[in-house]
Amino acid sequence: MTNLNVVGKSVLRQDAYEKVVGGKGFPVNISLPGMLHGKMLRSPYPHARILSIDTSRAEKLPGVKAVMTPKDVPQIIFNPIFFMPADSMAIHRDMLILSDTVRFAGQPVAAVAATTVAIAEQALSLIDVEYEELPAVFDPEDAMKEGAPEIHAGVKNNIRATPSFGAGDVEQGFKEADYVFEGTYETQRVHTCYMEPRVCVSDTDSSGHVTIYSSIAHLFGLRERLAYALGLPVSKVTAIQAPYTGGSFGSKLDLAYIEALSALLSAKTKKPVRLEHTRYEDFICNARHPMKVYLKTGVKKDGTITARYASTLCDTSAYSAHGPEVIMVHAYFGLMLGYRAPHTKWEGTVVYTNNMPGGAFRGYGAPQAAFAVESQIDEICEKLGFDPIEFRLKNTPRQGDPHPFNPEWKLGGYALDQCLTKGAERMGWSNRAKAGSASGTKKRGIGMAAHPIWVSGCVGFPDIYEHSGAIIRLNVDGTAYLSSATMDIGSGQNTTLCQIAAEELGLKFESVRMAPGNTDNLPFDAPTHASRVTYSSGNAVKVAAADAKKNLLEVAAIVMEANAADLEVRDGMITVKGAPAKAMSVADVVKRAESPFMVVGAQGPTPTTLKEKGTIMGISSVAPPANASPAVAEFVEVEVDTETGQVKVLRAVYAHDLGRVVNPAAAQGQVEGGLQQGIGYALMEQMLFDPETGACLTSDFLDYKMPTAVEMPSKIECIFIESNEPTGPYGAKSLSEACLIVPAPAIANAIYNAIGVRFHSLPITPEKILAALGKL
Amino acid sequence: MALVKLKEFCIPDKPEQVDACVAKYGENALILAGGSFIHGLEARGLLSEVEALVDIRKLGFAGVTAAAGGLHIGAMTTFAQLEQLPELGSAPWLGALKDALTYPPMQIKNAATVGGCLAAACPFFDIPTALLALDCKLSTNKAGAKREMNLADLFSGLFENSLEPGELIIEAKLAKPAGRAASAFIKLEGTANDLAIVNAAAYIALDGSGQCQEARITLGGGVGDNVVRSSSAEQVLLGQKLTEELLQRAADAVGQDIQPMADHRASAAYRLAMAKVFTKRALSLALSRLN
Ligand SMILES: Cc1cc2nc3c(=O)[nH]c(=O)nc-3n(C[C@H](O)[C@H](O)[C@H](O)COP(=O)(O)OP(=O)(O)OC[C@H]3O[C@@H](n4cnc5c(N)ncnc54)[C@H](O)[C@@H]3O)c2cc1C
Repeated sequence: MTNLNVVGKSVLRQDAYEKVVGGKGFPVNISLPGMLHGKMLRSPYPHARILSIDTSRAEKLPGVKAVMTPKDVPQIIFNPIFFMPADSMAIHRDMLILSDTVRFAGQPVAAVAATTVAIAEQALSLIDVEYEELPAVFDPEDAMKEGAPEIHAGVKNNIRATPSFGAGDVEQGFKEADYVFEGTYETQRVHTCYMEPRVCVSDTDSSGHVTIYSSIAHLFGLRERLAYALGLPVSKVTAIQAPYTGGSFGSKLDLAYIEALSALLSAKTKKPVRLEHTRYEDFICNARHPMKVYLKTGVKKDGTITARYASTLCDTSAYSAHGPEVIMVHAYFGLMLGYRAPHTKWEGTVVYTNNMPGGAFRGYGAPQAAFAVESQIDEICEKLGFDPIEFRLKNTPRQGDPHPFNPEWKLGGYALDQCLTKGAERMGWSNRAKAGSASGTKKRGIGMAAHPIWVSGCVGFPDIYEHSGAIIRLNVDGTAYLSSATMDIGSGQNTTLCQIAAEELGLKFESVRMAPGNTDNLPFDAPTHASRVTYSSGNAVKVAAADAKKNLLEVAAIVMEANAADLEVRDGMITVKGAPAKAMSVADVVKRAESPFMVVGAQGPTPTTLKEKGTIMGISSVAPPANASPAVAEFVEVEVDTETGQVKVLRAVYAHDLGRVVNPAAAQGQVEGGLQQGIGYALMEQMLFDPETGACLTSDFLDYKMPTAVEMPSKIECIFIESNEPTGPYGAKSLSEACLIVPAPAIANAIYNAIGVRFHSLPITPEKILAALGKL
Repeated sequence: MALVKLKEFCIPDKPEQVDACVAKYGENALILAGGSFIHGLEARGLLSEVEALVDIRKLGFAGVTAAAGGLHIGAMTTFAQLEQLPELGSAPWLGALKDALTYPPMQIKNAATVGGCLAAACPFFDIPTALLALDCKLSTNKAGAKREMNLADLFSGLFENSLEPGELIIEAKLAKPAGRAASAFIKLEGTANDLAIVNAAAYIALDGSGQCQEARITLGGGVGDNVVRSSSAEQVLLGQKLTEELLQRAADAVGQDIQPMADHRASAAYRLAMAKVFTKRALSLALSRLN
């Protein structure tokens, strides 16, 4: 696409300076007059029944304004996920704001509001809870055994769901294969580690109307879910949009205890109430689901895949929450859709345990799957002597093919082949040595992984919201305000959307500003998740901008005495095509539209026309026409210290077809952040719990290790391929999540190449490597 | 809940005022230097009995004097100040200290003091391992009464030191070796922002004929309640010509002196294996500095 002015440029983020000097727009900085501070008392037991709670001592403490126990909160059973309808048949509701039954260590059992945080904390120690401890189970396989503790009444063997699907005849497919490969691949529980804690302030008025400020990734989801859990109509909740929040990575896609409790404490005290998680509370709020994947692949001598079977065991933890949904995305978009096979079958099991809740995390089930799929492909290629690039090219779709999820869509712009070949070339793949052939104590290896099919939003997914809205208003100074309920979670969503608006309107980037709103005055938007914002919100912004531009040019046509169809806008100037001398600024046209009907000029008051009168606006509320798949391949070089087991990632080459690069610097940032989280997932990150008490052992950054800048490779090279997706705004589709889906298997494959040892469980710690080398 | 009983925050500018505050609160008065260790204790709710904090940063005791016989490091010297010392770049015998100072994150270097890192008696820190290998001596002061002690005698248990209430470390002293000497330090860490899983420092001095006349090998990071000195390893080296093979034998001998612990960061077996690897690497690095 030629002639793009704003799209494709690394414009400076509008909030960059604000954030560097402290970021007062972060919800953590919200403070209202008379505000109280809340704290939650958490259960030390992973499974218990509450026999009694005595709050009398706490209530007497000066400064304490309210104490809440299960009997003080609505006993409405809900599911916390924001992005599915609250009453959806596709999810399970099994949570209460405060319950008499504790199902994980750290579950809140009571809450306090006081004049200071210190008093609230002190009050917690004055609440006397009598528990009846119940037997707990932490291992999902143990949880399914006969006689395991029953975590939710009536759920037999703690099995929440057993979804499955398939095509063809998988037995037949394996018979047709010349070789059959199988393996079990395990992944661990990891946390997103966003920077800004989960925090909220609720202000409930005397009529019971709740106004809430919160650090979340879905404004309308918060409104809907909070209303549901409180038993209110949605119109009685107003969620205020923060100009930006300090990270989500999926972790802020569900109702947290703090939001419901702050609303209730506010209603009780008639004051605004603020609750903020400590880092410990953030850690046990939600995490990526640990999964155990069994994968079996049938291959012909020529490298054609004949059959794929997989089964997945997912620990959904104490509550259902995302479990039954994450396993479906995992199965379709993680395990099965990327590689063609005539015969397929998948079976899943979602199990309750007494572990902390599972949540959404960038990639939503796909990193767990990709570790299995991409490791096994490496095993197949190694064993049968195929080049991993050739093997992938042979078994993956091409541009123009029907989309494997929904054949009614086409892979419009789709360049996995280029990702594979260009990435391989940049990495020097052809020079890769034989696995384990490196000499010396420090051994280097190269590995790669691909992810052929992923999402740009959730069109086509059962019961997941996917539409966006935008409002654009032009100002008399020639600038535009864009409003959208999209949440900027730190990746620059606002900037990208302003770029799209500016491009469509013909304004400079600096002339478009994101104006935050709230659920009372903004159209609905699905959350910032599923790699959807550029493609889906971007589409809505483009439609709204086109609408505003049409209105602008209609007024301009009257004032300039021209035909609207003959006008064009660029850099804030409206000109007549072919007659550039006839020009008028956007500012002057808007001024005219906003002017009083009678305008006083040198000749005295002169009437304008009614037709040109009124604020120039554009609005939209639309769903995107499809769900375009990005394509990705990542190549890494590692060095393994065979004396210590330590792995250093030396270099990464990331090739991604994202349709169109809207903002190159932001895109590069996504790749780097994804690699950082991917290195953590591959090599070190892991939430650990006391095997007896279920208490979290890794609840701060001394104990929970994530890579720092020092562990990052100094060379991270991005190859962005612009396939120009026909259904995306300016040809764009998605980027974000894929950046984290591929690093772990690429690193595991590179470690294999370096030392000739294959790992089937993450993280691949130095200790595991040393043990595998027989040195422990 | 952290400093719930805190009543007073004393900022003395004369040593006598320290004594006054300590006399008032006894064991519940806590000396505060850079605060980087205390902050962690506070965050974990371990300071619930503390009634007074005594901030000693106005007392002086900062800066290093390079005497002919060695270095006198004021207890309040920060890691960042210490790192600027020209001697660290030029004297091989100080190699272990120079190496150890590269590990702490910048924010910590700016706050952490030499006195604080020693008094904390935390086996997971790096600077103490290095200073013990350099045979560090301490001067202390309590109500005007001065005391000299070996660093090894400061450590009396996990997070426990042998100082009396109100007794301050004033100075850490390193004597310059007479002969050809060099030292080195290496740390095993999960990330660059981590306390040691294992660390090791080695100091060696050779006589005129190239034989080892002095050796000190120290280890930290979960291999004992405090930093451990491995005399078994040192014995292997003394009086010998230092070959790679001998260094390996010395490294293998550290197992006799350490008691590696198991926690969620590393198993005891891994710590033991790494103690040997890192001792060997520290020895090789020290030796290379002599050539
Ligand atoms: C994030 C982080 C990373 C770190 N990384 C490293 C690392 O890589 N390598 C490393 O070696 N260390 C590391 N540390 C530890 C750091 O070195 C210590 O926290 C620091 O040295 C303590 O010194 P301070 O001045 O801050 O002491 P404080 O926290 O003020 O005090 C520590 C203890 O010593 C006592 N005390 C202080 N000064 C005196 C004195 N003069 N006389 C008597 N008692 C005294 C105090 O009462 C207290 O008990 C790290 C710490 C953190 C928090």
